[in-house]
Amino acid sequence: MVKRKLGALEKVEADLPNLQHKIRRDPKSYIEDFRAQHYQYESHREIFMAAPSSATDTGVISLRDLIDFISHVADCYPGICKDFPQQLIDMLMQHHLVLETELREKLVGSLVLLKKKDLMDSATLLHTLFPILISTPSKTLRALLFQKILSELRTANSKTTNHKLNRTMQTVLFNLVTSDRTSAKGLWAIKITRELWKRQIWTEAKAVEIMKEAALSQNEKVIIGGVRFFLGGDKEREELEDEDSDEEVNVGQVKHQLTINKKTRKKARVAEKAIKAVRNKERKKGNPAPLNFSALHLLHDPQGFADNMFFKHLQNGKSKLNLEQKLQVLQLVSRLVGLHKLHIMPLYSYFQKFLTPRQPSVTSFLASLAQASHDLVPPDVLEPLVQKIANEFVSEASAGEVATAGLNAIREICARQPLAIEETLLQDLVMYKKSKDKGVMMASKGLLSLYRDVGAQMLKKRDRGKEAAMSLRSGERQERRYGEQAAGEIEGLELLAKWKDEERRKKNIENGLPSDAEDNEEENDEADWAAWNVEDDEDSDIDGEWINVEEDVEIVLSDSEDEGKPASKKAKQEEEAKKDTEKEVAADKDIDFMKLATTRILTPADLAKLTELRAQAAAEATLPGNKGRVAAPWTSRHTDDPLTAGEIEGLAALSAAKATREERIAHAKEGKTDRSDHMSKEARRKERKEEQGKSTTNKEKARKKNFLMTLGKARSKNKRSLVETRAVLKAHVDRGKRGGRRGNVGQ
Amino acid sequence: MGSSSKRKKDKQKDFQKPKLKVGKTKAKPDNYTDTSFKSKSIVLTQQSLHLSAPTSNATFTHNLSLLSAKSDSQRRDSLAYLTTTISSRPVNSPLPQPVSVILPSLLPLILDGTTSVRTQLLKLLRTLPPGDVEDHVAQLLPYVRAGMTHLAADIRSSAVEILSWMVEAAGESTVSCAGGWIKTLNCFLSVLGWHTEESSRWSSSRASFGKSGSQGKPMVKTLGALAMFLDAGIGKPSIGGIDSEMSGDDDESADWPFPLCQTAQHMISDSSTPFAYLNLFGKPRDEEGEMYETREDRYRVFSTRFQPAIERGIKSAREEGGELGRASSGVSKVLKEAITYGPGP
Repeated sequence: MVKRKLGALEKVEADLPNLQHKIRRDPKSYIEDFRAQHYQYESHREIFMAAPSSATDTGVISLRDLIDFISHVADCYPGICKDFPQQLIDMLMQHHLVLETELREKLVGSLVLLKKKDLMDSATLLHTLFPILISTPSKTLRALLFQKILSELRTANSKTTNHKLNRTMQTVLFNLVTSDRTSAKGLWAIKITRELWKRQIWTEAKAVEIMKEAALSQNEKVIIGGVRFFLGGDKEREELEDEDSDEEVNVGQVKHQLTINKKTRKKARVAEKAIKAVRNKERKKGNPAPLNFSALHLLHDPQGFADNMFFKHLQNGKSKLNLEQKLQVLQLVSRLVGLHKLHIMPLYSYFQKFLTPRQPSVTSFLASLAQASHDLVPPDVLEPLVQKIANEFVSEASAGEVATAGLNAIREICARQPLAIEETLLQDLVMYKKSKDKGVMMASKGLLSLYRDVGAQMLKKRDRGKEAAMSLRSGERQERRYGEQAAGEIEGLELLAKWKDEERRKKNIENGLPSDAEDNEEENDEADWAAWNVEDDEDSDIDGEWINVEEDVEIVLSDSEDEGKPASKKAKQEEEAKKDTEKEVAADKDIDFMKLATTRILTPADLAKLTELRAQAAAEATLPGNKGRVAAPWTSRHTDDPLTAGEIEGLAALSAAKATREERIAHAKEGKTDRSDHMSKEARRKERKEEQGKSTTNKEKARKKNFLMTLGKARSKNKRSLVETRAVLKAHVDRGKRGGRRGNVGQ
Repeated sequence: MGSSSKRKKDKQKDFQKPKLKVGKTKAKPDNYTDTSFKSKSIVLTQQSLHLSAPTSNATFTHNLSLLSAKSDSQRRDSLAYLTTTISSRPVNSPLPQPVSVILPSLLPLILDGTTSVRTQLLKLLRTLPPGDVEDHVAQLLPYVRAGMTHLAADIRSSAVEILSWMVEAAGESTVSCAGGWIKTLNCFLSVLGWHTEESSRWSSSRASFGKSGSQGKPMVKTLGALAMFLDAGIGKPSIGGIDSEMSGDDDESADWPFPLCQTAQHMISDSSTPFAYLNLFGKPRDEEGEMYETREDRYRVFSTRFQPAIERGIKSAREEGGELGRASSGVSKVLKEAITYGPGP
């Protein structure tokens, strides 16, 4: 028997998606149908509320479908659906423990959808979802809620920062962490805060405050979550930022593909989207970079926090943290101490018992100790520690790695507080520079070069080196007393002063004035003021876009550089004169460049030039031909960066015994990729192309062409007349000019 | 050519024969799924094999559990079995299972997708003793209302049939239970499409959605049910009729000898839930879900909320004429009687 064909209308029985589609197009005509479905939803809800836990799969249509349907079209009938969001909230809040999973997820999804349609505000949504997140035992629901809460917070902050919502949410999280310090529920506050911190949505002190409270809680997981945030949250944020900037859409490629491929509406939309994204990014680039203080800097009362952490988690005998966790806490405390120059005196005596080579992960302890020392720590507190490290680690009898670690630790401590070591001990340790062990030798030399910089008078005379000895004799370098601070300055200012000086000279030469003439200084100043906003132009210049060149002083100046070259003869004469004066000037030089900062206001153009000069100087310093000393590693480190155990271990690998042959082979093999067979570059390229499913070139096609197919043409070629041959050749040349059969005129 | 040869190679790859070797086990195919498992113990479930046939009570329970079976013919057959067992039981003997046990498994079947199941369900419901149904009307009504507003027209019409059975069997409790009056009337209006003035006009191109079935007949059926429902709710209380509560005063007072008057008021009530209207244990109800226990209340609600819409609807139905017009006259007659009786004595 043949099956009866179903009419179009018969098929749509109980088809809610179809009705939803029709309502979307014409809400007014289908109001009766919607009302009927709303009544149906009401009755199903009644049935459900009578017994929430029982399976509510009733017949063809379930409550889930109805909720889905109504939430999708609720914005068309706001009058009928005004109670709908509240009903869903009640259903979820009261029965989320007993609901079947699918319905529960549908409820969450529908609430988010209603928020998207502006039928409820995000504060209500978050106040609904968050309490469930921290109370539900279901893992899947938690994952879903967490994701929804995060995306809700992100979208709420996408256009402008929604301060009100952020504040309420932060207060909720803060209360969660502080209300019950023993419970693990604070983890959710940590997770949310960390995620939002990573995405730079929350960058305020309040978020840091939440983490601070978490780090002071009594639950180990929460403590470690908070501590980890302080130790790694900012790095995570930077990494994400880098990632974001990496993924770039090639607009040119997109446009090009649009001309070649089949033109569909979808492809046009994709291209438009890509172009828009790029344009957005461009606009963002123009904006000033947002100031992102690291979490450690945003801390309110770091001294109190560090004190609390230390006494609560480290000094306290009852603390339940294991060694690894304690180390993390210690790292945080010591970083805070180093960064904010805090004083926690018991911290140093706490270190005392851990400083033996037998202590597990002793290098981390050493790194923490080095981090915790700064120039305001009294030397007599650090001295016994340094003494102990030297006694325990550094001796002829101890293994090379141990001695290296000890020496490195001492160097790191002394780099921060040079007064922490006695003269005799230092001289002893420096003697290890003659050690046979390479690691120990290097570490000792590191210590030596450090003291040549910071305290040459403590070294023996023959160790001081030429530079230090000379500066000591001239009295230029003096011992830094405890607590003495160097006068502040702008880094690289002398470079700027020098550059300005040269520019002025050049200009004077150009104008036919003596190079030292100072009279046009004012004019120069004015020029500087005119070039106030040069920075913006420079930025876009780098991007390689066209800019409107205004009558800009900066541009004129850069032109004059080129013009200066033809006049070099003159310049040479001037140079000689300059040399004479230079000697006189040299004495006043350091005072001179300070004048630049104290008497004038540096324009943004100046600052841009300053950074440029600084970068240039740094690049020059690293060149191999440069005689100047390469900056020591301890000076190049930023104060925010942590000191790791790896740095303390240093070149321990060098002091290890020679590797066996097998080890060397394995090491050599490490770098190589897994290449199975030897092939020519060309063959490998071809293989790769084939794998990627790309087509062959015309040349390859011609080469592969079946011999029999070419026969006909070859035969006819012989029989061509001269005229025909000419025509063919002409056509060939013409085609070449045009760029192929289709030509590339249009592009 | 290059691409076609590549494709050829690909195709060949798919159909390469695996090499078989003597003395080696055959290689497993790519899509082989390992179904072996380890278990500490294997339990063999006992089969229920009995020499004696199961008792009629046991089969009744078994069939009751089969009502939630996946296949619709199974559901229909068990319904048929239940119907015959109930109807063929000796007169005045109790049901094999009480109604409160039977009903929960019957309720979801009101919304069942298969027509034969629903007709069979109605047959079963009709066999249930009306007195027992009266207490469970509140449970039944949400399902019936859900059915009345269902997208599928067949389910709508069978739900209307079930409602008319309910009014027949327990009219008073149907209209007076929680949500029974306003919500059900709302459903009626939405089934008939009488909610707004525009949608009730016959000329309006009411874009009705879903399978509409034959438009005339279900409307007629619905109008009949509406007439019955209105009559039960706000009809003129007849003496000794459905509305026994109102008229019962005189009869009951006659049962008591002279010095006792109004003693019936102080006796324990004979209804199963005498204090339901207090709603001590349920959720707080809104206006729509409230109980309207007296005719006076119901009439007040009706006259303020529904009377204009229904009168308008009746008028347009009468104008349409034919079978529909005749059916509408039944409703209008009930309505006229109710209005002449007014809010009450």
